Amino acid sequence: MKTTLQRASIAALVFTLGCNSTPAPATNPPVTTPPVDAGAVVTRPPEVTPTPVTEIPGHEVLAQDRAPKEPPRLMPAETLIRSYISLFGGLSPQALQVRLRGATSDNLFDTWGDYLSALGVPDYAVDIPRAPQTNALMLAAFERIGVALCERAVLNDLRGAVATNDRVLFRFELPAGGRALTDEEFGARFDVLHRRILGYPAALAPESRIPRFRALYQGAVTRHADAGARSFNGPEAGWASVCEGLVRHPEFHLY
Amino acid sequence: MDTRRRTFLKVLGGAAGAGIASQPLFRAFADPPVASDEFFVLIHASGGWDVTLSLDPRNERRGIIEPGSTDTIDTAPIRLWRDAPLDADSSTFEILRPSGSSLRFGPAIGALAEMPDRLTVINGLAMNTVSHPDGTFFAATGRHLAGGKPVAASIDTMLANEFGRESLLPTVSVGYPSTYVGDDLDARVSPLRVSSVDTLSKMLNRGNVNTTAADRLAVTAMLTEEARDLAARSWYRDEIEGFGLQLQALPRMLSPDVQSIFNATSLAAAQPTFFPTPAKRFQARAGVNCAFAVEAMKRNLVRCVSFSTASHDTHSNNYRSQPLIQQELFDTIAALVRALDAAPHPTRTGRRLADHTHIMVVSDFCRTPQINLTLGRDHYPNGSALVISPKFVGNTSFGRADDDQMLPANAGTFADGARAVAPPDLLATFVSAFGVNPRKYLRDGDVIRSLLRA
Repeated sequence: MKTTLQRASIAALVFTLGCNSTPAPATNPPVTTPPVDAGAVVTRPPEVTPTPVTEIPGHEVLAQDRAPKEPPRLMPAETLIRSYISLFGGLSPQALQVRLRGATSDNLFDTWGDYLSALGVPDYAVDIPRAPQTNALMLAAFERIGVALCERAVLNDLRGAVATNDRVLFRFELPAGGRALTDEEFGARFDVLHRRILGYPAALAPESRIPRFRALYQGAVTRHADAGARSFNGPEAGWASVCEGLVRHPEFHLY
Repeated sequence: MDTRRRTFLKVLGGAAGAGIASQPLFRAFADPPVASDEFFVLIHASGGWDVTLSLDPRNERRGIIEPGSTDTIDTAPIRLWRDAPLDADSSTFEILRPSGSSLRFGPAIGALAEMPDRLTVINGLAMNTVSHPDGTFFAATGRHLAGGKPVAASIDTMLANEFGRESLLPTVSVGYPSTYVGDDLDARVSPLRVSSVDTLSKMLNRGNVNTTAADRLAVTAMLTEEARDLAARSWYRDEIEGFGLQLQALPRMLSPDVQSIFNATSLAAAQPTFFPTPAKRFQARAGVNCAFAVEAMKRNLVRCVSFSTASHDTHSNNYRSQPLIQQELFDTIAALVRALDAAPHPTRTGRRLADHTHIMVVSDFCRTPQINLTLGRDHYPNGSALVISPKFVGNTSFGRADDDQMLPANAGTFADGARAVAPPDLLATFVSAFGVNPRKYLRDGDVIRSLLRA
């Protein structure tokens, strides 16, 4: 089976040959073909002078095709679970499960086993294949798990007295006294999460991303402005929503 | 562009977005319509049931047959048990003959005895196995295991592939031997296998201690916009568009109306007949599954519900409970039929769910006609099945087991000659009742036309 690289190389070669086989410009001397006559000496036609591609009309700028040649695929469920485990503390699956369930009855998590089917894990014992695409129940499971992961991370990192470098996810400081974040302050902190969860700087994402997450954050802050003692305060709810938005993001699940 | 694939993905999202098939998005992107007004409930009586107490009653000592008796059975909880003399110090049961019916039942048939017109009984099924896994998958797929592996799609997958591609949940399989094997299966109909209905409830359940539903809705709305923008920037946009449509559907999935069908407490409130007091000793889970089936079908959320029951595997003294296990199961099925009678069809005005719901009950095999040294019965390569379907002729029994050994006897002349009826014949007949060519899914099996209504 040809690899993508091999296919791309062949495509590039065909493309290049196709371009080079374009007829020469009219400025070249016309090629005259001597009459074919048995016994006559056939003279070689004059050599065609190569024309640089950039001189061919319409080829002044040669675009480089960087488009992916395959549609996005769903991340295997095992990889997804491994990513959750890695991002949220690097614990064993069992230990993370215990942490996610927590000591309180806040109904955030059950067991990994309860979600395996919905996440698309295959069951080869009865020939149930891997789920090739997302479905509505799978997205419901993504939300259930994402909420649990992010809320536990907020409780551990932001509500607990944990040094910045020892935090599971939110490795940045929040302004003292609950002061509202400026756009720049939010952007810097969002970038930490964006790099950690989606794997690249937020500045390289579509331009709408930072403002969109900023609005999400601010909305949660506003809704939780007068939260009770048990519920998240504004910044906690805001960062929980941002975290949830990233771990449920299409770029996190499709590649 | 591959239009089928594109359509599929949009339907995937559309189905999710609709939740109910009546929404415009669903209809707009749906594949050409199929006869998707039918619903299916497939039940596997796990462990191998003793049909001499119910579907193929035997109350005489004949050949190697030792009928159930007061020596081996707890008869007190069996409502339809009427003593009949067996020997000097024990009694067996009187065979039930419902009035106006030619069917004969043992006392474990329970409340199903009150509705013989709805029942199609198949006896003398040639199971050709005494292995639980082999019998289980043979009954569900029509093929014996090969190297321990199923080699064909199970009946619920077949039906979902034909009629459930547009459903939000094509097949919910609660411990049923569902398999997804074959080249012509739609990716959407892979069975959603769960250990219990509650498992789905857990996925849809949300805590509200730290954050609220409004917070989660805001995240979902933001992600929907993100997916839409990413799709607009992508060359291959189907997957991301599908993701976005499913995100749009999430609030509907999490609505109390949908969540309630996955919650045992809500189901008990909606369908109290499946939750009697005192609770069933063996088949309480079957009641939950049937209540789920009715509520999910009423909302047009699911096409097939398949589930396995409590075990009938009674090799020793636990055989005393065999008739009670069966009575509880058949009572539950009777309650299911009545609930379907009372439920309106979700898309056909003026029709009942019962008019378009088809139930099939099978088991691994049956149990030996002899009582063993530990007062139980072991595995036996005969079987029975029960169909309750408006497409089938009711008040009918097909096939038979012989009088002395209870082995499958010739049931008629099939394409390959005279022989006993076998699970592939039953499955082929079942799918053909809905216009499906059995050869699309089944290597073996003849359609038994006499069982089908004209």
